[in-house]
Amino acid sequence: MLSIPGKKAQLCDGVSRREFLRVGGAAMLGMSLPQILALQARANTIVTPSQTLNGFGKAKSVILMFLQGGPSHIDIWDPKPDAPSNVRGEFKPIKTNVPGIWLSETMPRLAKQMDKATLIRSVSYTPVGLFNHTAAMYQMVTGSTPDKVSPSGQLDPPSPKDHPNVASHVAKFLPPEVPMLAGVQLPRPLQESNIIGKGGTGGFLGRAYDPYFFFQDPNEEVKLDEFSLREEIPAARLKRRANLLETINASMPELEKVADSYALNEYYEKAYDLILSERARNAFDLTQETDAMRDRYGRHTFGQSVLLARRLIEAGTRFVQVNWPSVANGDPNTTAWDTHAANFGPLRNLHCPKLDSAVSSLLDDLDQRGLLEETLVLAIGEFGRSPRLGVSTSGNSNSPDGRDHWPYCYTGLIAGAGIQGGQVYGKSDATGSTPLEDPVHPRDILATVYHTLGINPKTEVFNHLDQPRELVSGEPVLGLF
Amino acid sequence: MKVPMSLLGILLILTLNTYSNVNANSAHPEANIRIPKITQLKSIPEALVLDGKNDVRSITVSGLTSDGHWIDLSKEASFTTNDNKVKIDNNGHVHPVEAGWTSIKIVFRHHSIDLSVNVENIDTQPISFVRDVMPAISKVGCNAGTCHGAADGKNGFKLSLRGYDLDLDYQTLITDLSGRRLNRARPSQSLMLLKPTQGVPHGGGQVLEANSRHYKTFHQWIVEGVKSDVNTTKRVSRLEVIPNTTEIHLPGMTQQLIVIAHYPDGTSREVTSNAIYTSTLSDVATVSDSGFVTAVRRGEAVILVRYESLYSTSEILVIGDRSGFKWEETTQYNYIDELVHDKLKRVRILPSALCTDAEFIRRVYLDLTGMPPTPSQIQIFLEDQTDSKQKRDGLIDHLIGQPEYIEHWTHKWADLLQCNRKFLGEKGVWLFRKWIHDSVAKNKPYDKFVRDLLLSSGSTYQNPAANYHLVTTDKTTYQPDVAIENATQLFLGIRFACAKCHDHPFEKWTQNQYYELGSYFSEVSVKRGQLPGEQIVYNNYNVNGGVKHPKTGGIVPANVPFGSAEKIGVDPRESVTNWLVSKDNPWFAKSLVNRVWSYFLGRGIVEPVDDIRSSNPPSNAKLLEALTKDFIESGFDLRHLMHTITKSRTYQQSIKTNRWNQEDEINFSHAIPRRLTAEQMLDAVSIATGSQPNFSGVPEGFRAVQLPDSSLDDGGFLKLFGRPERESACECARTTQVSLSHALNLINGPTIASAINDPKGRIAQLTEQQIDNRILVKKIYLASLCRTPSEAELINAVEHISKAESQVGGAQDLLWALINSPSFLFNR
Repeated sequence: MLSIPGKKAQLCDGVSRREFLRVGGAAMLGMSLPQILALQARANTIVTPSQTLNGFGKAKSVILMFLQGGPSHIDIWDPKPDAPSNVRGEFKPIKTNVPGIWLSETMPRLAKQMDKATLIRSVSYTPVGLFNHTAAMYQMVTGSTPDKVSPSGQLDPPSPKDHPNVASHVAKFLPPEVPMLAGVQLPRPLQESNIIGKGGTGGFLGRAYDPYFFFQDPNEEVKLDEFSLREEIPAARLKRRANLLETINASMPELEKVADSYALNEYYEKAYDLILSERARNAFDLTQETDAMRDRYGRHTFGQSVLLARRLIEAGTRFVQVNWPSVANGDPNTTAWDTHAANFGPLRNLHCPKLDSAVSSLLDDLDQRGLLEETLVLAIGEFGRSPRLGVSTSGNSNSPDGRDHWPYCYTGLIAGAGIQGGQVYGKSDATGSTPLEDPVHPRDILATVYHTLGINPKTEVFNHLDQPRELVSGEPVLGLF
Repeated sequence: MKVPMSLLGILLILTLNTYSNVNANSAHPEANIRIPKITQLKSIPEALVLDGKNDVRSITVSGLTSDGHWIDLSKEASFTTNDNKVKIDNNGHVHPVEAGWTSIKIVFRHHSIDLSVNVENIDTQPISFVRDVMPAISKVGCNAGTCHGAADGKNGFKLSLRGYDLDLDYQTLITDLSGRRLNRARPSQSLMLLKPTQGVPHGGGQVLEANSRHYKTFHQWIVEGVKSDVNTTKRVSRLEVIPNTTEIHLPGMTQQLIVIAHYPDGTSREVTSNAIYTSTLSDVATVSDSGFVTAVRRGEAVILVRYESLYSTSEILVIGDRSGFKWEETTQYNYIDELVHDKLKRVRILPSALCTDAEFIRRVYLDLTGMPPTPSQIQIFLEDQTDSKQKRDGLIDHLIGQPEYIEHWTHKWADLLQCNRKFLGEKGVWLFRKWIHDSVAKNKPYDKFVRDLLLSSGSTYQNPAANYHLVTTDKTTYQPDVAIENATQLFLGIRFACAKCHDHPFEKWTQNQYYELGSYFSEVSVKRGQLPGEQIVYNNYNVNGGVKHPKTGGIVPANVPFGSAEKIGVDPRESVTNWLVSKDNPWFAKSLVNRVWSYFLGRGIVEPVDDIRSSNPPSNAKLLEALTKDFIESGFDLRHLMHTITKSRTYQQSIKTNRWNQEDEINFSHAIPRRLTAEQMLDAVSIATGSQPNFSGVPEGFRAVQLPDSSLDDGGFLKLFGRPERESACECARTTQVSLSHALNLINGPTIASAINDPKGRIAQLTEQQIDNRILVKKIYLASLCRTPSEAELINAVEHISKAESQVGGAQDLLWALINSPSFLFNR
């Protein structure tokens, strides 16, 4: 006879109703909703054999460097020196610190950290009717294909019916151990043209599970008012206020039950702690890093965002998504990865130095701090780029040295959380056009993320129509561990 | 709340283990439950007819205890027969052996009854694909949504979800993989048998035991030549669950369910062992795979029983130990109270006392006008010496129809009708809102209101009701499918969306009906008008009447999913609208009444309010019926409905619970605190602080509830606190969660802080007058919590202010604390 108040579950079936009401019963034991959900996620893993599988539960947190726009795999991760010149391109391969693994010359610093990371050179999927960025990004960060595509091939703007971003599911199943923001997305939203933020929200889980959007440039001065004590309310006064609130609430015992069922006191305690400890404020404050450290990651938006990601996971955040700081389909000459019109010049001079400094520094830095073992690091785009130069694969026009969208075979970098470094997983063909071995679907990558966090990717969740679905219908890539 | 997680984990596991023991053991597993003295015995059914060798039936036996409870004795009673016409196995199943009449003697202690049995024949029927194979496939779970019933199937094998498409499944089984699923020469080598038994690797693991009942069914079907009777055999048309409602006295006690499938040809068979069971509340009652219900704790649960495409339910009421309970006669203000109390007596619950006048005025203002009362309104009401009931009725009469009432309900309808400039454009938003406003102000009868919306045509500027259709229009393409999903969810409380891609898994709605209904709207078209942003809604008679079925590609003729609609005249919308808003439509008035009830009581009688279906029964069916009847008889008068609800004692109960109702959440025995909606909260903060919020794009003094749509911002407060985006007709689009970001915002956010500190606000004005701290505190309490403080609260607050650095500072702290108290954040 209890039910979880608050968000009205949109139940269109008896099963989830039962779930919800069962949760209600547990609330009598004095558990709050997040506690129960965390317990459920763990219970889900207890009853399946996945717990015994490699890498399960190794990660405490995740840093996803999401390279929106679709970087050219051949020019960065998967050089093809023996391919014809209209495929091979301008760049030469370089040796890395792992014998047998070669990178493009655009990534000299990463070459020295290659022993810490694994390249999945067989990421591959066939788009469901669509070839644009938004649909591909949506799939990459939610694990689902969009429900609705307009006749023009565009997606709708974000809606409460969307599938949740991976960080939102993680926030729900695995709240942080300390009072801290569960998920953070920075330094700008996902975007193609005027569709902003699609796939980046809590979707049908509700706004409460949105990642915290830190859409500021960490390479500039940032505003941290939200996490700072207000000028007129210093710590002592906030504490006095909290005490006063406690005595006021104590005089109304009839409201205790509702306060408990909404976990009000718990949220208030966490909020006080977050404000008073200045944990979040400090985490966002890059001035607390040495100049040398900041230089190392690179004094640009992406580099400083990745450094910030490291500070956030140190402070307890579970999932940080660093979006590449240019619109997905922007001008390549202003660092967008969408290099239809110009590929080699921008990559050499603009994009790759930034990517190289940030990724290599993060791997090295996490390793030195002993955090790489418990942090899953990913750098990947929504697709790669066409092996052949100057051909149209998406209907866009390309300059003779441009590359078009290519989802059929590309590369993602993955490291940490028990993943063996210095490996190549999967294999692309001679031109980087199709996987020869072990194709990996973006959904498999998300399944791997959940898996390393100790969340069974097969956990049943209910979508906006309340149909039971797997968290993500992919398989963790166990060969990585 | 401070119990360590690890301990909770253990607790949970222990509890689960206990449940499974209960299931595994016999009927009364808990040693402390002794079967009391029985005064009478009965069996259901009271007679049996067996038709054919495979017609195996079971019997439930109940005994009446001396204190008036029926308890299940199916496992304890003994069954004997004095001839060999039937055989009774260890599970109590009756098998026919020889044709003819006989009887079964049922004995428990010294009571006995006779049950007559007619074995009509003992013929053996061949295995039917429709009646034997498909139910077995469903029971094994092959076609579940997470297995081969998924939209894309699983590992290359796709079945229709829960077997809604028999023929497709048959064709898939016999033709896929060049027919290797079925080996007629060596049946046991069929993939259909090898896969589920893990004879060859199966991604889903072993789901079938070799030589089990279902295995034998599949095997025999293959032996008999994998024949299809899809075109000749009708599927089950009605499902009967015995008992369909029952009381179980104590936790640990049990009830065996029996499920009978009735077919259109008048035959029936017992399908208890092939039906699929789920309990809506497994901490109240669990149900085993074979329909064996075990009470776990006091409460009400519904056992959903699915067989093939049909659903039925058995309502289980676990009374629990209520020794000492005695019903106390409680005043009844109107029929609502009578029906609520009838249910409460049945479940042995005592209702709460009435709320205080101060609680009442805040609640009724919030519910009817969306705003709390102002200090002067409270004072006038509290000082009025009239009899409390009379005074409350008078306030209700006064509030209903006030401008604030009209704004509030306009806002509510604007939410549901998705008054959103994304669909309607800026001018359209204002015009549509104005149209809703006028309808609410006139108290337009609800059926007329819906009719005006559905039948609207013409310019969205000249006839703003036509904006209703733009919500289901993409650019200028009207979408009949989205239109019927919206209309059925909004006006009938039915979720038809599931039937778009497959038959509704939890209801009788089929995919065909979805498109048949859509066909009524197939002629609706939208084109650009002459003015910027203007759209014209019209009927395009060139469209070939009807929408296309996605599977057949054929035009589906219009038809309604239940009842009957008049023949289509000039405009197909006319006949479907007449059908929809009819008094005879069992869903139209009921869904509205349920929805409005939930706005006042915090929970629908059916919950969620827009998901009415047989597998989601109301917590008080008689109450819902009576409200529906009253609403229809009043001429679909919404104000009459609100008068009736708010004037009931049930609405005016306190949130304080007593020993007998503290666990009740579904029977309306006490008020349920509800978090203020985003707009209510912002407007309440404005009244408490005396500070006007600033909205861009509207005149000063606008309240949150007056905003035309969600594009107008206030710095993010409304969005954060769950104002719906108006992109869905679902009530669930509005959220009233509490999370860390909400707590952060309330504690430290700019909205509350600047309102409290407003130099023109309440605190600034009060402290300028240099008033006494006691008066100051009283005024702040009145403005925020709508009541005066108790003496203890007064002393506590005065002490805080006098210790503070300044009176202003202390008063600000107090107001901050009161706004952050659940007493403010909730409608209680």
